[in-house]
Amino acid sequence: MKKKLVGFLFIILVVSLLMSTCLGAQKKKVTIRFATWAGTDEAKELQEIIDQLNAKSQQYIIEQDSNPADYDTRLLTQLSGRGGPDLFWVSSQRAAQLSAKGVMLDITKMLASSKHEAANIADYFEASLEPFKVKERIYGLPWIEQPVVLYVNRDLFDKANVTIPKGNWDWDKFLEVAQKLTIDNSGKNAGEKGFNKSAIKQWGFTVNGWPPAQIFVWQSGGDIIAPDFSCSPIDTPEAIRGFKFYADLINSPMVPSQQTIRDRGFDTMFRNQQVAMFMGGAADNLENRVDFRCEVIEVPMGPTGIKSTFADVLGMGINSKTKNPKAAFEALLDLTSAIHQWKVMPPRKSLATLETMNKLHPERSQAMQNIINSLAYAQPYRYFENYPDWDNIFWTQLMDPIVNNQGDPEELITIVKPLLDEKLK
Amino acid sequence: MERFVGTFIRWLITPVVLVLIAIGIYHLLKRLGWKHRQAMGLSLISPWIIGFLSFIAFPLVNSLFLSFTDYNLFNKPEWVGLRNYQWLFTKDIEFWPSIRLTLSYAALTLPIGVLGSLILAMLLNRKINGVGFFRTVFYLPAILPEVAVALLWRLFFNSESGLLNYILRPIFNLFNMGKPNWFGDPKFVLPAFVIMSVWGIFGTNTVVFLAALQGVPRSLYEVAELDGANFLKKFLHITVPQISPIILLQIIMGMIGALQVFTVAMFVRPTSAAGKFLNQLVYERGFTQLHMGEASAIAWVLFIIILLLTLLVFKTTPAWVYYEAEAKR
Repeated sequence: MKKKLVGFLFIILVVSLLMSTCLGAQKKKVTIRFATWAGTDEAKELQEIIDQLNAKSQQYIIEQDSNPADYDTRLLTQLSGRGGPDLFWVSSQRAAQLSAKGVMLDITKMLASSKHEAANIADYFEASLEPFKVKERIYGLPWIEQPVVLYVNRDLFDKANVTIPKGNWDWDKFLEVAQKLTIDNSGKNAGEKGFNKSAIKQWGFTVNGWPPAQIFVWQSGGDIIAPDFSCSPIDTPEAIRGFKFYADLINSPMVPSQQTIRDRGFDTMFRNQQVAMFMGGAADNLENRVDFRCEVIEVPMGPTGIKSTFADVLGMGINSKTKNPKAAFEALLDLTSAIHQWKVMPPRKSLATLETMNKLHPERSQAMQNIINSLAYAQPYRYFENYPDWDNIFWTQLMDPIVNNQGDPEELITIVKPLLDEKLK
Repeated sequence: MERFVGTFIRWLITPVVLVLIAIGIYHLLKRLGWKHRQAMGLSLISPWIIGFLSFIAFPLVNSLFLSFTDYNLFNKPEWVGLRNYQWLFTKDIEFWPSIRLTLSYAALTLPIGVLGSLILAMLLNRKINGVGFFRTVFYLPAILPEVAVALLWRLFFNSESGLLNYILRPIFNLFNMGKPNWFGDPKFVLPAFVIMSVWGIFGTNTVVFLAALQGVPRSLYEVAELDGANFLKKFLHITVPQISPIILLQIIMGMIGALQVFTVAMFVRPTSAAGKFLNQLVYERGFTQLHMGEASAIAWVLFIIILLLTLLVFKTTPAWVYYEAEAKR
């Protein structure tokens, strides 16, 4: 019995070792494990790109590992151990954190010596590279810089007899349009006498913490974090004006209550034609995904004519513990370049032209000019290593009370500013 | 594919290694003079001991160590002494609101949970037609996924179209009150979570009480009835003493469960102005802000709170918990 057991265990060990040896002998190219948050459809499209790259490359085979659920937690856990992915998608916020902590590989020298089109740093929009830079060293590359644009429901505009604003329109015009598009059950709009705000069937706009208040603060000439990261100047008159406009908008009948938004779904309300205007990322491509006539226009500018919008930058980095930095770098460049052809908008000046973008995305030709215009003045947040600490205070102590509890921005700012400044020290 | 084969190989090798360790332990113990039965017993449970040491004991001790360090997952933990605890108690603006919210929640939900499940178990213990059906129905909540239930609660508590506000409308009208914004208004967050905790009455707790009630000898009730005892007297002097060890178990487990609430809170995401539950804070400090030292410190504070409260409950047991063949005066 004992002999049989030892014999059985011995066979299992030998088979296991043989299998691993055979697999080792099969290896020709280096395997690059690539972590993404891509959902089912996105992962499928990405896999097609990866298959093409794998077929062309002599150096690597990229293996996609998509985990849309709780991606960040999983990635951080993997990176903290030895078995993390070689290459991974990363948000700007995490990139700033991981670059500073040395988790992402410093690719400055490799970029300088590469002739790959995606390695030409001068071709990238400066703002898109910022989250990946620490003390002028580069730790990753952005694959998208999507500005926030305004998606409008043309059918609802026509029904309300409102012209879709073009080019330079400001907050006043925005409020006027939103008012006309907010309609109660009797058909009256929010600007008309007898409008019943407790029986609204269609809202002009929607906010639930998105779009970020930063957009309106920037548009009114204020700032959230000083360029030198010395303080959070949210108590300037300009910044306060931006926050107040945002708060007033949330508490107005033109925006559904937070409960209604939670209940019916934020973008679902726009898709279901219950909301007429929706601020979303340029990559959302809503105009091609809804059952009504939808157009993309630029967000309104501030009261003094300042144009600004938020740019969501996403990128890719190499695990500093990778055993194959060269192959991972080649894969990074090839993938980045390929994704630039796939996503709207690529963060590269040479690609962000109307002609190129129309060629790459003919289905979005109506929207493209406005997206490109928006990119010119779009900016990401000012990320830094401890940004999540700062952001936690900003959202829990300032934005949450404004969004969920009719908090007065002026009162809150007095309390919150010292806490935010403390996090920047 | 290769990655999965690698995992499969490790999956094959691990049990082999564990069996070899068990055999090694057996031979070692035999050489040390242990009897066959003892050596065999210990070697057979060695895989579980190894699992316990690797996956429970080590992380536990390690988290205690980390709570005294500055650790962000990627650096070497740097010893900072009591700094994390000091920060929590004196400077962290979210810590005390979290303690308040978590303790208030536990204090309110524990009696509701224990009493509610006891009453329900007593009802299900009665000899009525179709009692099996009712027992099945009342156990169903235990098999529903927590997240799906949280989604239902979210709809139920919706301030505008939720069922709860619809039911309570006459009361609001009577007092000329607006409809409460259950998850948006900090005043209503705790009551909303307490109401949600009623769900915990059903399921396992009731089944455990039911089993305990069925273990109470019928003869005790018959004797009491002969002496003219009414329902309340029978309940207080027979039922409660007889099932008191189970009540103790339910109190301890209920308290631990209430203090560790996490999934529902993360899914419902009420306004942060009401504070966050301690486990939420542990997660956010650890995985969003990468302050593993602080997160570990919060987890240990939570552990100490649970330990102290458990000891407190145990301290009271001589007065009200009756074990078999034990006489109280």
